[in-house]
Amino acid sequence: MTTTGQRAQGWGFVAPALLWTFAFFIVPFIVMGAMSLATLDGRTLIWGLSFQNYAELAEKRFLWRAIVVSLEITLTVTVVSVVLAYPLAWIIAFNVPKRWQRLALLLAILPFWTSYVVRSYAWLLVLARDGVVNQTMLNLGLIAEPLTLANTRFATVTGFVHFFVMLLTLTIYANLVQLSPNYRRAAQDLGASAFQTFRHVILPLTLPGIVTGAFLTFVLCIGDYVTPQILGGNTELTVPQVIMVQLGRRADFPLAAALAIVLMGIVTVAYLAAARWLRLDRI
Amino acid sequence: MMRLLPWMYLAVAFVFIYLPVATLVLFSFQDGQLPVPPFNGPSLRWYGDVLGDSRLTAALINSVLVALGASLIAVTLGFLAAYGLARHVLPGSALIRALLIAPLTVSYLIVGLGLLIVLTQAGLGLSLVTAGIGHVVINLPLAFAIIFAAMGAQQQNAERAARDLGANEMQVILLVTVPMLAPAIGAAFFLSMTFSWDEFIISFLLTRFDVTLPVEIWSMLRSGLSPRLNAIGSLVFLVSIAVVLTLELFVFRKRRS
Amino acid sequence: MDMTKLTSTLLATTVLTCAAGAVTAQEQLNALVWCDHMDPALIAPFEAEHNVTVNLREYEGTGAALALLDQSRPGDWDVLVIDGIDVFRAVDAGILAPLDAAQLPTADFFPEVVMEGVNTVDGVTYAVTEKFGYNTISYNTANVDPADMESLSTVWSEKYDGRISIYDYYLPVMGLAAISQGIATADIGSDNLDAIGEVMGTMRSRAASVAGVVAAQTALATGEVDIVVGGGEWLTAVLAEEQPDLTWTIPSEGAVRWTQSIGVVEGTQKPDLALEFVKYIVSPEGQARLATSSCFWGMPANALAGDFLTDDQKAILRWDDQPDYLALSQLYPAPDDALDADMQDMWLDTLSQ
Repeated sequence: MTTTGQRAQGWGFVAPALLWTFAFFIVPFIVMGAMSLATLDGRTLIWGLSFQNYAELAEKRFLWRAIVVSLEITLTVTVVSVVLAYPLAWIIAFNVPKRWQRLALLLAILPFWTSYVVRSYAWLLVLARDGVVNQTMLNLGLIAEPLTLANTRFATVTGFVHFFVMLLTLTIYANLVQLSPNYRRAAQDLGASAFQTFRHVILPLTLPGIVTGAFLTFVLCIGDYVTPQILGGNTELTVPQVIMVQLGRRADFPLAAALAIVLMGIVTVAYLAAARWLRLDRI
Repeated sequence: MMRLLPWMYLAVAFVFIYLPVATLVLFSFQDGQLPVPPFNGPSLRWYGDVLGDSRLTAALINSVLVALGASLIAVTLGFLAAYGLARHVLPGSALIRALLIAPLTVSYLIVGLGLLIVLTQAGLGLSLVTAGIGHVVINLPLAFAIIFAAMGAQQQNAERAARDLGANEMQVILLVTVPMLAPAIGAAFFLSMTFSWDEFIISFLLTRFDVTLPVEIWSMLRSGLSPRLNAIGSLVFLVSIAVVLTLELFVFRKRRS
Repeated sequence: MDMTKLTSTLLATTVLTCAAGAVTAQEQLNALVWCDHMDPALIAPFEAEHNVTVNLREYEGTGAALALLDQSRPGDWDVLVIDGIDVFRAVDAGILAPLDAAQLPTADFFPEVVMEGVNTVDGVTYAVTEKFGYNTISYNTANVDPADMESLSTVWSEKYDGRISIYDYYLPVMGLAAISQGIATADIGSDNLDAIGEVMGTMRSRAASVAGVVAAQTALATGEVDIVVGGGEWLTAVLAEEQPDLTWTIPSEGAVRWTQSIGVVEGTQKPDLALEFVKYIVSPEGQARLATSSCFWGMPANALAGDFLTDDQKAILRWDDQPDYLALSQLYPAPDDALDADMQDMWLDTLSQ
């Protein structure tokens, strides 16, 4: 029984948020798209419909390498984070006694609140040649010589995984505790082994949670500048790093915009691949 | 052995999770110029150094202001949109929801870059306000999603009752809906504050003279290795977990009991 | 809604806005600078003396700074700090205003860094040198044969494979690569870029990392690498106290000299105040503070700054060695926009090998 008046009122409530999103998200996005088709002559911006920037992405080695590197790092981080976080969430949900669960979960995500910029820097200190990791392994006799861990892709991945294990533990835990214990009991009553129960009952039921968490990991990881910049040693650059170089050293907005559009494209593909299981409105 | 396995995994996981934090805090007490082993100390000199740094204090205040402002706007807009969509039948409401959630699927860097391009092309100056605008863009979807999910039939009945008793729309919202949704609104606000407080790349791209704390820390980080970084990092961590634990103990726990 | 709460919120907002207004009421000077100017120890005395607020914004590369100034309205910026060799680009773009040379104490400067050729265009002075130093070789004497560091041919040789870090800025490092091939930095052009690229490739293949300031310092301090190509006093000065093994040298072929210039931005509404700021920065006191700024150290252009520096500070800056160093070093490469773009592409390409 919606009257026109009520509908108008409804629009009145929705309008501010819509306008904000439109003015500060959609419009910039369209302008960025137009910018990616512009070119730079010296420092003069020439608007137009040139695909020169995209052609450069294919031609210049450091540009397409950055896309490959970004994809490799992001996929590694996503997979490793899920594989490490799932057992952790599982243990907190099913092994830790109920009354301690909330505390255990809180402890597992507390370092979330270290400053994001400082967190990567802290990993630099941990992974340094005479940092904690090398010192411990040397003392245990596991290695004879300190390993080069900092300023490598390994360091970047470690820094990322640390952050996303916390994030994923949270989302997967939330999913696991929502499962009724009856499912497990029923499966076991029907003679399923622990593994079969997991494979055929629990995993499918928690898949939406995993995929949603993994998708968030993917989006946040592929767009991140700070972690690879601090930990990666600059021996290979990710797309965000190349974007920031273009902005910081040359103010090449058209090329930066083209790279950003490519980044968006990759995220869209990931979204479509995951869409079946995604529950973004339930984060 | 099999029964111990989960506990061993838990222990190893916690070591991994706390390794950087512990190293960070330990070397904030370093007595010397370099935050690397061997550890000499403890010394509080770097804390004194950090607390006496006027740029850092200014950045800290800026961060709080931006986070507060951006969260207030994001939560208000998010609440209004959720209310409008939950209580009124609007054509294309699925599309509207998708549009409002969309910024969530885009990297912060891209949100910041897009705004930077528009602002520079329009000849508008950068400031804490522009950084705050960017923060609202990224926080609005979260605030909307959280509050929208919490809107149910329960409040709708109370709202109807209030309306029957002669309350106008404004009164219904302020006196019925908002109090009933307080937990969700609070959670949305808290989450917005967390993200905005710690956000780096949008602030980095969209501020000019006055910067937020993460941007100031980034400048320090670019200028040289020093236990000062450890000290400011430890302080931020300490304050943040104090807030989180206080909320956990006094707000969320109380709510559940 | 609790009305008192609403009122107090409104009140608080008003007070805050007024406070912000009061701050802006004071005269403002807007400066686009490098991080060494952001040290309160340098800026606060000027602010106090002139009762002004100096707003500082740091930037990374000249190209970005020029683009930012291009897009700004006249009067947005008052002072610019820029690579000495890029002054001509800023003048070409109409960004710098003429400076009254008579008011500058260049007579007290180290003569080699007055650099009229750089700071004046067509007889008009647009900027003045304020600080200089070297991009050369920093190394750890405990793990590296100092004799090897005296020649660029042995610095990135196989002997030090994997123990090198390259400083993450293309101009000085490509300058060093050119110098190692006997190419003067001023002669770098499209015809010899390939030769430089080849050296860069070798350098990169020997390097464990390409590092910014902190990463390079961490790597040196923790023994991850023993050599930083492109390093210098600005890199090792803060480490010197605790790690005396870390030092730097200028090889026999020479090294790259960086210089910063400061000037007044064209279109400023406060030309007098901006000039006062420039004069303060090149005054002996300002120079001493700039030389020992918290972000990075470097030699002051004004030799009289020595009166305001301690012996320890002068030792770290290697005050007494400057005549030799100045003679051995060459200025940063000074590419035009097109060559600059090519050099940056080559740099990024080398990194992604």
